[in-house]
Amino acid sequence: MRWIWIDKFVEFNSGQSAVAIKNVTLAEEHLHDHFPGFPVMPECLMIEAMAQTAGILVGEAKKFQEKVILAKIKKCVFFDYVKPGDTLKIEANIESIAPEAAGTTGKITRQEQLIAEIDLMFSHIDKNLGGKKFPEENFVFTDTFKSLMQGITN
Amino acid sequence: MLEVKDMAMSRDEIFQKVQEVLVDALGVDEDEVTAKATLMADLGAESIDFLDIVFRLEKAFAIKIPREELFPAESLMNNPELISNGKLTAVGLAELRTRMPHTDITEFQKDPSINKLGSLFTVNAIVNYIDIKLKK
Amino acid sequence: MRFILIDKIVLLETGNRIKTVKCVSLAEEYLADHFPVFPVLPGVLLLQGLIESASWLVRETENFAHSMILLEEARNIKYKSFLSPGSQIEYTVDVKTIEENISSFTGIGISEGQEIVQGSFGLRHFNLADKNPAMAAVDDIVIENMKKRWWLLRQ
Repeated sequence: MRWIWIDKFVEFNSGQSAVAIKNVTLAEEHLHDHFPGFPVMPECLMIEAMAQTAGILVGEAKKFQEKVILAKIKKCVFFDYVKPGDTLKIEANIESIAPEAAGTTGKITRQEQLIAEIDLMFSHIDKNLGGKKFPEENFVFTDTFKSLMQGITN
Repeated sequence: MLEVKDMAMSRDEIFQKVQEVLVDALGVDEDEVTAKATLMADLGAESIDFLDIVFRLEKAFAIKIPREELFPAESLMNNPELISNGKLTAVGLAELRTRMPHTDITEFQKDPSINKLGSLFTVNAIVNYIDIKLKK
Repeated sequence: MRFILIDKIVLLETGNRIKTVKCVSLAEEYLADHFPVFPVLPGVLLLQGLIESASWLVRETENFAHSMILLEEARNIKYKSFLSPGSQIEYTVDVKTIEENISSFTGIGISEGQEIVQGSFGLRHFNLADKNPAMAAVDDIVIENMKKRWWLLRQ
Protein backbone atom coordinates (compact mmCIF):
# COMPACT_ATOMS: atom_id res chain seq x y z
CA MET A 1 0.00 0.00 0.00
CA ARG A 2 1.49 3.35 -1.05
CA TRP A 3 0.55 6.46 0.83
CA ILE A 4 -0.57 8.36 -2.26
CA TRP A 5 -4.23 9.17 -2.43
CA ILE A 6 -4.44 11.16 -5.65
CA ASP A 7 -3.61 9.95 -9.16
CA LYS A 8 -3.00 13.14 -11.09
CA PHE A 9 -3.59 16.86 -11.19
CA VAL A 10 -5.92 18.16 -13.88
CA GLU A 11 -5.69 21.83 -12.94
CA PHE A 12 -3.16 23.86 -10.99
CA ASN A 13 -3.29 27.58 -10.28
CA SER A 14 -0.24 28.37 -8.20
CA GLY A 15 -1.07 29.97 -4.90
CA GLN A 16 -4.80 29.66 -5.48
CA SER A 17 -6.48 26.40 -6.41
CA ALA A 18 -5.91 22.91 -7.71
CA VAL A 19 -7.95 19.97 -8.96
CA ALA A 20 -6.80 16.36 -8.72
CA ILE A 21 -8.48 13.07 -9.49
CA LYS A 22 -8.46 9.70 -7.78
CA ASN A 23 -9.66 6.45 -9.24
CA VAL A 24 -11.07 3.90 -6.82
CA THR A 25 -10.34 0.31 -7.77
CA LEU A 26 -10.88 -3.20 -6.39
CA ALA A 27 -7.11 -3.60 -6.79
CA GLU A 28 -6.71 -1.48 -3.61
CA GLU A 29 -6.22 -3.93 -0.75
CA HIS A 30 -7.67 -1.83 2.05
CA LEU A 31 -11.11 -1.80 0.43
CA HIS A 32 -11.47 -5.46 1.21
CA ASP A 33 -11.35 -4.68 4.92
CA HIS A 34 -13.75 -1.75 4.67
CA PHE A 35 -15.97 -3.55 4.63
CA PRO A 36 -15.56 -7.29 3.99
CA GLY A 37 -18.49 -8.06 1.69
CA PHE A 38 -19.11 -4.48 0.49
CA PRO A 39 -16.07 -2.36 -0.25
CA VAL A 40 -16.34 1.43 0.11
CA MET A 41 -13.58 4.01 0.22
CA PRO A 42 -12.91 4.94 3.85
CA GLU A 43 -13.87 8.56 4.53
CA CYS A 44 -10.55 9.18 6.28
CA LEU A 45 -8.75 8.37 3.02
CA MET A 46 -10.92 10.87 1.17
CA ILE A 47 -9.75 13.40 3.74
CA GLU A 48 -6.18 12.34 2.96
CA ALA A 49 -6.78 12.80 -0.78
CA MET A 50 -7.86 16.36 0.00
CA ALA A 51 -4.90 16.83 2.36
CA GLN A 52 -2.51 15.78 -0.39
CA THR A 53 -4.15 17.95 -3.05
CA ALA A 54 -4.33 20.98 -0.75
CA GLY A 55 -0.97 20.27 0.86
CA ILE A 56 0.83 20.21 -2.48
CA LEU A 57 -0.99 23.42 -3.45
CA VAL A 58 0.22 25.10 -0.24
CA GLY A 59 3.71 23.61 -0.54
CA GLU A 60 4.13 24.74 -4.12
CA ALA A 61 3.09 28.27 -3.11
CA LYS A 62 6.28 28.33 -1.03
CA LYS A 63 8.32 26.50 -3.67
CA PHE A 64 8.41 23.34 -1.52
CA GLN A 65 10.78 25.00 0.93
CA GLU A 66 8.46 24.33 3.88
CA LYS A 67 7.52 21.00 5.43
CA VAL A 68 3.74 21.29 5.18
CA ILE A 69 1.77 18.88 7.35
CA LEU A 70 -1.86 18.50 8.31
CA ALA A 71 -2.45 20.19 11.68
CA LYS A 72 -6.22 20.37 11.99
CA ILE A 73 -9.30 19.10 10.18
CA LYS A 74 -11.46 22.17 10.66
CA LYS A 75 -14.58 20.61 9.28
CA CYS A 76 -15.54 17.79 6.97
CA VAL A 77 -18.95 16.52 5.89
CA PHE A 78 -19.75 13.46 3.75
CA PHE A 79 -22.91 13.14 1.67
CA ASP A 80 -22.58 9.72 0.07
CA TYR A 81 -20.27 6.71 -0.03
CA VAL A 82 -17.79 5.89 -2.79
CA LYS A 83 -17.30 2.52 -4.47
CA PRO A 84 -14.70 0.79 -6.65
CA GLY A 85 -15.17 1.98 -10.23
CA ASP A 86 -15.76 5.57 -9.11
CA THR A 87 -13.54 8.48 -10.14
CA LEU A 88 -13.33 11.30 -7.63
CA LYS A 89 -12.54 14.90 -8.45
CA ILE A 90 -10.81 16.71 -5.59
CA GLU A 91 -10.86 20.51 -5.67
CA ALA A 92 -8.86 22.56 -3.18
CA ASN A 93 -8.53 26.31 -2.63
CA ILE A 94 -6.10 28.25 -0.46
CA GLU A 95 -8.18 30.42 1.84
CA SER A 96 -5.36 31.88 3.96
CA ILE A 97 -1.59 31.55 3.96
CA ALA A 98 1.01 32.86 6.40
CA PRO A 99 4.66 32.02 7.12
CA GLU A 100 3.76 29.40 9.71
CA ALA A 101 0.42 27.99 8.52
CA ALA A 102 -2.23 27.84 5.79
CA GLY A 103 -5.98 27.23 5.62
CA THR A 104 -7.74 25.51 2.71
CA THR A 105 -11.30 24.75 1.67
CA GLY A 106 -12.40 22.13 -0.80
CA LYS A 107 -14.87 19.63 -2.11
CA ILE A 108 -14.89 16.15 -3.56
CA THR A 109 -17.32 15.26 -6.33
CA ARG A 110 -18.15 12.19 -8.36
CA GLN A 111 -19.53 13.11 -11.76
CA GLU A 112 -20.98 16.41 -10.53
CA GLN A 113 -22.48 14.80 -7.40
CA LEU A 114 -21.16 16.33 -4.18
CA ILE A 115 -19.51 13.66 -2.06
CA ALA A 116 -17.72 15.73 0.58
CA GLU A 117 -16.75 19.20 1.78
CA ILE A 118 -13.43 19.37 3.59
CA ASP A 119 -11.71 22.38 5.24
CA LEU A 120 -8.18 21.90 6.55
CA MET A 121 -5.34 23.69 8.31
CA PHE A 122 -1.71 22.99 7.60
CA SER A 123 1.32 23.83 9.68
CA HIS A 124 4.78 24.62 8.35
CA ILE A 125 6.50 22.58 11.00
CA ASP A 126 9.96 24.12 10.84
CA LYS A 127 8.33 27.42 11.79
CA ASN A 128 6.21 26.09 14.57
CA LEU A 129 7.15 23.27 16.82
CA GLY A 130 9.21 25.48 19.08
CA GLY A 131 12.40 23.64 19.89
CA LYS A 132 11.66 20.44 17.99
CA LYS A 133 14.17 19.77 15.26
CA PHE A 134 13.36 17.84 12.11
CA PRO A 135 15.61 16.23 9.50
CA GLU A 136 16.70 19.00 7.19
CA GLU A 137 15.64 17.50 3.90
CA ASN A 138 12.04 18.05 2.94
CA PHE A 139 10.69 14.59 3.66
CA VAL A 140 7.12 15.75 3.03
CA PHE A 141 7.47 16.58 -0.65
CA THR A 142 9.15 13.54 -2.08
CA ASP A 143 9.90 12.97 -5.75
CA THR A 144 6.70 10.93 -6.03
CA PHE A 145 4.61 13.96 -5.17
CA LYS A 146 6.64 16.32 -7.29
CA SER A 147 6.24 14.02 -10.26
CA LEU A 148 2.46 14.45 -10.03
CA MET A 149 3.10 18.10 -10.86
CA GLN A 150 4.91 17.47 -14.13
CA GLY A 151 3.39 19.27 -17.06
CA ILE A 152 0.59 20.83 -15.07
CA THR A 153 1.80 23.96 -13.32
CA ASN A 154 1.07 27.31 -15.00
CA MET B 1 -20.07 49.63 -1.75
CA LEU B 2 -18.97 50.45 1.76
CA GLU B 3 -16.07 48.45 3.14
CA VAL B 4 -16.72 46.79 6.47
CA LYS B 5 -14.09 49.13 7.95
CA ASP B 6 -16.08 52.25 7.08
CA MET B 7 -19.19 51.21 8.91
CA ALA B 8 -18.99 51.88 12.62
CA MET B 9 -19.34 48.48 14.24
CA SER B 10 -20.63 48.57 17.79
CA ARG B 11 -18.71 46.71 20.48
CA ASP B 12 -21.65 44.30 20.78
CA GLU B 13 -21.55 43.51 17.07
CA ILE B 14 -17.82 42.92 17.28
CA PHE B 15 -18.32 40.63 20.29
CA GLN B 16 -20.96 38.59 18.43
CA LYS B 17 -18.69 37.99 15.47
CA VAL B 18 -15.69 37.19 17.68
CA GLN B 19 -17.88 34.76 19.59
CA GLU B 20 -18.90 33.01 16.33
CA VAL B 21 -15.29 32.76 15.25
CA LEU B 22 -14.23 31.18 18.54
CA VAL B 23 -17.18 28.74 18.58
CA ASP B 24 -16.21 27.57 15.07
CA ALA B 25 -12.46 27.50 15.60
CA LEU B 26 -12.46 25.83 19.00
CA GLY B 27 -15.60 23.71 18.90
CA VAL B 28 -16.84 25.19 22.19
CA ASP B 29 -20.39 26.21 23.06
CA GLU B 30 -21.50 29.82 22.69
CA ASP B 31 -22.14 30.19 26.41
CA GLU B 32 -18.54 29.25 27.17
CA VAL B 33 -17.31 32.23 25.16
CA THR B 34 -17.74 34.97 27.75
CA ALA B 35 -15.88 38.29 27.67
CA LYS B 36 -13.49 37.24 30.43
CA ALA B 37 -12.84 33.70 29.16
CA THR B 38 -9.16 33.02 28.46
CA LEU B 39 -8.39 31.36 25.14
CA MET B 40 -5.98 28.78 26.50
CA ALA B 41 -7.11 27.87 30.02
CA ASP B 42 -10.88 28.31 29.54
CA LEU B 43 -11.43 27.55 25.87
CA GLY B 44 -8.64 25.03 25.24
CA ALA B 45 -6.87 26.90 22.43
CA GLU B 46 -3.42 25.78 21.32
CA SER B 47 -0.89 27.23 18.91
CA ILE B 48 -2.54 25.86 15.76
CA ASP B 49 -5.85 27.28 17.01
CA PHE B 50 -4.31 30.74 17.42
CA LEU B 51 -3.38 30.70 13.75
CA ASP B 52 -6.84 29.44 12.78
CA ILE B 53 -8.43 32.21 14.87
CA VAL B 54 -6.29 34.90 13.22
CA PHE B 55 -7.25 33.64 9.73
CA ARG B 56 -10.94 33.61 10.63
CA LEU B 57 -10.85 37.07 12.23
CA GLU B 58 -9.14 38.46 9.12
CA LYS B 59 -11.93 37.03 7.01
CA ALA B 60 -14.79 38.03 9.33
CA PHE B 61 -13.68 41.65 9.70
CA ALA B 62 -11.91 42.15 6.33
CA ILE B 63 -8.71 43.28 8.03
CA LYS B 64 -5.10 42.16 8.00
CA ILE B 65 -3.74 40.98 11.33
CA PRO B 66 0.07 40.92 11.24
CA ARG B 67 1.70 38.03 13.02
CA GLU B 68 2.59 38.95 16.61
CA GLU B 69 0.28 41.98 16.71
CA LEU B 70 -2.70 40.22 18.32
CA PHE B 71 -0.75 37.63 20.32
CA PRO B 72 2.86 38.85 20.59
CA ALA B 73 3.85 36.18 23.10
CA GLU B 74 6.83 34.77 21.20
CA SER B 75 8.85 37.96 20.85
CA LEU B 76 8.15 38.95 24.46
CA MET B 77 9.12 35.55 25.83
CA ASN B 78 12.25 35.12 23.76
CA ASN B 79 13.81 38.49 24.54
CA PRO B 80 16.24 38.13 27.48
CA GLU B 81 16.19 41.89 28.13
CA LEU B 82 12.53 41.72 29.08
CA ILE B 83 12.64 38.69 31.33
CA SER B 84 14.37 37.98 34.65
CA ASN B 85 13.84 34.83 36.73
CA GLY B 86 10.86 33.83 34.66
CA LYS B 87 9.10 37.14 35.14
CA LEU B 88 8.76 40.26 33.01
CA THR B 89 10.99 43.10 34.19
CA ALA B 90 9.79 46.72 34.42
CA VAL B 91 11.12 47.19 30.88
CA GLY B 92 9.32 44.02 29.88
CA LEU B 93 6.05 45.28 31.32
CA ALA B 94 6.45 48.60 29.51
CA GLU B 95 7.03 46.69 26.27
CA LEU B 96 3.94 44.61 27.00
CA ARG B 97 1.82 47.72 27.48
CA THR B 98 3.01 49.14 24.15
CA ARG B 99 2.59 45.91 22.21
CA MET B 100 -0.70 44.82 23.73
CA PRO B 101 -2.83 47.90 24.46
CA HIS B 102 -5.85 45.68 23.90
CA THR B 103 -5.20 43.64 27.04
CA ASP B 104 -5.85 44.40 30.69
CA ILE B 105 -2.63 43.83 32.61
CA THR B 106 -3.78 44.98 36.08
CA GLU B 107 -3.90 41.49 37.53
CA PHE B 108 -0.96 40.19 35.54
CA GLN B 109 1.48 42.86 36.73
CA LYS B 110 1.03 41.77 40.35
CA ASP B 111 2.91 38.59 39.46
CA PRO B 112 4.22 38.97 35.90
CA SER B 113 5.39 35.39 35.48
CA ILE B 114 5.83 34.45 31.81
CA ASN B 115 3.91 31.24 32.47
CA LYS B 116 0.90 33.41 33.14
CA LEU B 117 1.17 35.42 29.92
CA GLY B 118 -1.56 33.26 28.44
CA SER B 119 -4.07 34.65 30.94
CA LEU B 120 -3.94 37.96 29.06
CA PHE B 121 -5.39 36.38 25.94
CA THR B 122 -9.07 36.78 26.73
CA VAL B 123 -12.10 37.15 24.49
CA ASN B 124 -12.24 40.77 25.62
CA ALA B 125 -8.67 41.33 24.46
CA ILE B 126 -9.66 40.18 20.96
CA VAL B 127 -12.75 42.41 20.95
CA ASN B 128 -10.62 45.38 22.06
CA TYR B 129 -8.04 44.67 19.37
CA ILE B 130 -10.66 44.53 16.62
CA ASP B 131 -12.36 47.67 17.94
CA ILE B 132 -9.06 49.60 17.87
CA LYS B 133 -8.18 48.19 14.43
CA LEU B 134 -11.51 49.07 12.86
CA LYS B 135 -11.40 52.62 14.16
CA LYS B 136 -8.03 53.31 12.51
CA MET C 1 -1.48 -4.77 4.69
CA ARG C 2 -4.80 -4.72 6.48
CA PHE C 3 -6.97 -1.67 6.97
CA ILE C 4 -7.68 -2.02 10.69
CA LEU C 5 -6.55 0.89 12.81
CA ILE C 6 -7.12 -0.44 16.33
CA ASP C 7 -5.73 -3.63 17.89
CA LYS C 8 -7.84 -4.27 20.95
CA ILE C 9 -10.75 -2.99 22.96
CA VAL C 10 -9.78 -2.44 26.59
CA LEU C 11 -12.96 -0.93 27.99
CA LEU C 12 -16.54 -0.74 26.79
CA GLU C 13 -19.54 0.83 28.50
CA THR C 14 -22.56 0.20 26.31
CA GLY C 15 -23.99 3.40 24.92
CA ASN C 16 -21.41 5.51 26.75
CA ARG C 17 -17.69 5.07 26.26
CA ILE C 18 -15.04 2.89 24.68
CA LYS C 19 -11.27 2.68 25.10
CA THR C 20 -9.08 0.96 22.53
CA VAL C 21 -5.37 0.53 21.91
CA LYS C 22 -3.28 0.58 18.73
CA CYS C 23 0.35 -0.45 18.46
CA VAL C 24 2.43 1.29 15.79
CA SER C 25 5.03 -0.77 13.98
CA LEU C 26 7.51 -0.14 11.17
CA ALA C 27 5.89 -3.18 9.57
CA GLU C 28 3.01 -0.90 8.53
CA GLU C 29 3.74 -0.22 4.87
CA TYR C 30 2.50 3.36 4.58
CA LEU C 31 5.11 4.50 7.10
CA ALA C 32 7.73 4.15 4.37
CA ASP C 33 6.00 7.01 2.54
CA HIS C 34 4.94 8.98 5.62
CA PHE C 35 7.54 10.07 5.87
CA PRO C 36 10.85 8.85 4.54
CA VAL C 37 13.42 9.40 7.38
CA PHE C 38 10.60 10.47 9.70
CA PRO C 39 7.97 7.73 10.01
CA VAL C 40 4.84 8.82 11.88
CA LEU C 41 1.26 7.61 11.80
CA PRO C 42 -0.69 9.71 9.29
CA GLY C 43 -3.19 12.09 10.89
CA VAL C 44 -6.15 10.62 9.03
CA LEU C 45 -5.30 7.17 10.38
CA LEU C 46 -5.36 8.60 13.91
CA LEU C 47 -8.86 9.83 13.06
CA GLN C 48 -9.65 6.38 11.68
CA GLY C 49 -8.65 4.93 15.08
CA LEU C 50 -11.24 7.18 16.70
CA ILE C 51 -13.82 6.29 14.02
CA GLU C 52 -13.26 2.55 14.44
CA SER C 53 -13.45 2.83 18.21
CA ALA C 54 -16.76 4.68 17.98
CA SER C 55 -18.06 2.25 15.35
CA TRP C 56 -17.51 -0.75 17.60
CA LEU C 57 -19.32 1.03 20.41
CA VAL C 58 -22.26 1.62 18.05
CA ARG C 59 -22.23 -1.96 16.77
CA GLU C 60 -22.24 -3.36 20.30
CA THR C 61 -24.84 -0.91 21.55
CA GLU C 62 -27.25 -1.55 18.67
CA ASN C 63 -26.48 -5.28 18.67
CA PHE C 64 -25.02 -5.32 15.14
CA ALA C 65 -28.23 -4.04 13.61
CA HIS C 66 -26.48 -2.23 10.74
CA SER C 67 -23.84 -3.31 8.26
CA MET C 68 -22.63 0.13 7.20
CA ILE C 69 -21.17 2.55 9.76
CA LEU C 70 -19.48 5.52 8.11
CA LEU C 71 -18.08 8.90 9.08
CA GLU C 72 -20.65 11.60 8.40
CA GLU C 73 -18.79 14.62 9.74
CA ALA C 74 -15.81 15.65 11.84
CA ARG C 75 -14.98 18.98 13.46
CA ASN C 76 -11.86 20.46 15.01
CA ILE C 77 -9.80 17.31 14.77
CA LYS C 78 -6.48 18.61 16.12
CA TYR C 79 -3.13 16.91 15.75
CA LYS C 80 -1.01 17.79 18.74
CA SER C 81 1.98 15.53 18.53
CA PHE C 82 3.54 12.77 16.43
CA LEU C 83 3.13 9.03 16.96
CA SER C 84 6.15 6.94 16.03
CA PRO C 85 6.79 3.22 15.49
CA GLY C 86 7.32 1.39 18.77
CA SER C 87 4.64 3.50 20.48
CA GLN C 88 1.15 2.61 21.57
CA ILE C 89 -1.83 4.92 21.51
CA GLU C 90 -4.93 4.62 23.66
CA TYR C 91 -8.12 6.07 22.19
CA THR C 92 -10.98 7.15 24.46
CA VAL C 93 -14.26 7.90 22.76
CA ASP C 94 -17.25 9.30 24.65
CA VAL C 95 -20.81 9.29 23.36
CA LYS C 96 -22.70 12.56 22.94
CA THR C 97 -25.72 10.86 21.33
CA ILE C 98 -26.53 7.49 19.78
CA GLU C 99 -29.75 7.29 17.78
CA GLU C 100 -30.95 4.69 15.34
CA ASN C 101 -29.14 6.00 12.26
CA ILE C 102 -26.77 8.67 13.58
CA SER C 103 -24.45 9.14 16.51
CA SER C 104 -21.98 11.76 17.74
CA PHE C 105 -18.83 11.56 19.82
CA THR C 106 -15.83 13.30 21.27
CA GLY C 107 -12.57 11.43 21.17
CA ILE C 108 -8.96 11.68 22.24
CA GLY C 109 -5.81 9.64 21.59
CA ILE C 110 -3.01 9.61 24.16
CA SER C 111 0.40 7.97 24.01
CA GLU C 112 2.82 7.90 26.96
CA GLY C 113 0.95 10.73 28.66
CA GLN C 114 1.08 12.91 25.55
CA GLU C 115 -2.06 13.99 23.66
CA ILE C 116 -1.77 13.02 20.02
CA VAL C 117 -5.21 13.64 18.51
CA GLN C 118 -8.48 15.11 19.71
CA GLY C 119 -11.81 16.21 18.27
CA SER C 120 -15.53 15.65 17.65
CA PHE C 121 -17.20 13.58 14.98
CA GLY C 122 -20.45 11.94 13.94
CA LEU C 123 -21.27 8.62 12.29
CA ARG C 124 -24.18 7.37 10.25
CA HIS C 125 -25.35 3.77 10.37
CA PHE C 126 -27.63 1.99 7.92
CA ASN C 127 -28.25 -1.16 5.94
CA LEU C 128 -27.93 -1.34 2.17
CA ALA C 129 -31.35 -3.02 2.20
CA ASP C 130 -32.87 0.27 3.43
CA LYS C 131 -32.65 1.60 -0.11
CA ASN C 132 -32.53 -1.70 -1.98
CA PRO C 133 -34.15 -4.79 -0.40
CA ALA C 134 -32.17 -7.05 -2.74
CA MET C 135 -29.03 -6.08 -0.81
CA ALA C 136 -30.17 -7.70 2.46
CA ALA C 137 -27.93 -10.70 1.82
CA VAL C 138 -24.91 -8.40 1.45
CA ASP C 139 -25.77 -6.69 4.74
CA ASP C 140 -25.81 -10.11 6.41
CA ILE C 141 -22.37 -10.97 5.02
CA VAL C 142 -20.85 -7.69 6.19
CA ILE C 143 -22.39 -8.04 9.66
CA GLU C 144 -21.15 -11.64 9.98
CA ASN C 145 -17.63 -10.57 9.04
CA MET C 146 -17.67 -7.66 11.46
CA LYS C 147 -18.85 -9.98 14.25
CA LYS C 148 -15.81 -12.20 13.60
CA ARG C 149 -13.53 -9.18 13.83
CA TRP C 150 -15.30 -8.10 17.01
CA TRP C 151 -14.34 -11.32 18.77
CA LEU C 152 -10.74 -10.84 17.68
CA LEU C 153 -10.63 -7.33 19.15
CA ARG C 154 -12.21 -8.35 22.43
CA GLN C 155 -9.70 -11.12 23.20
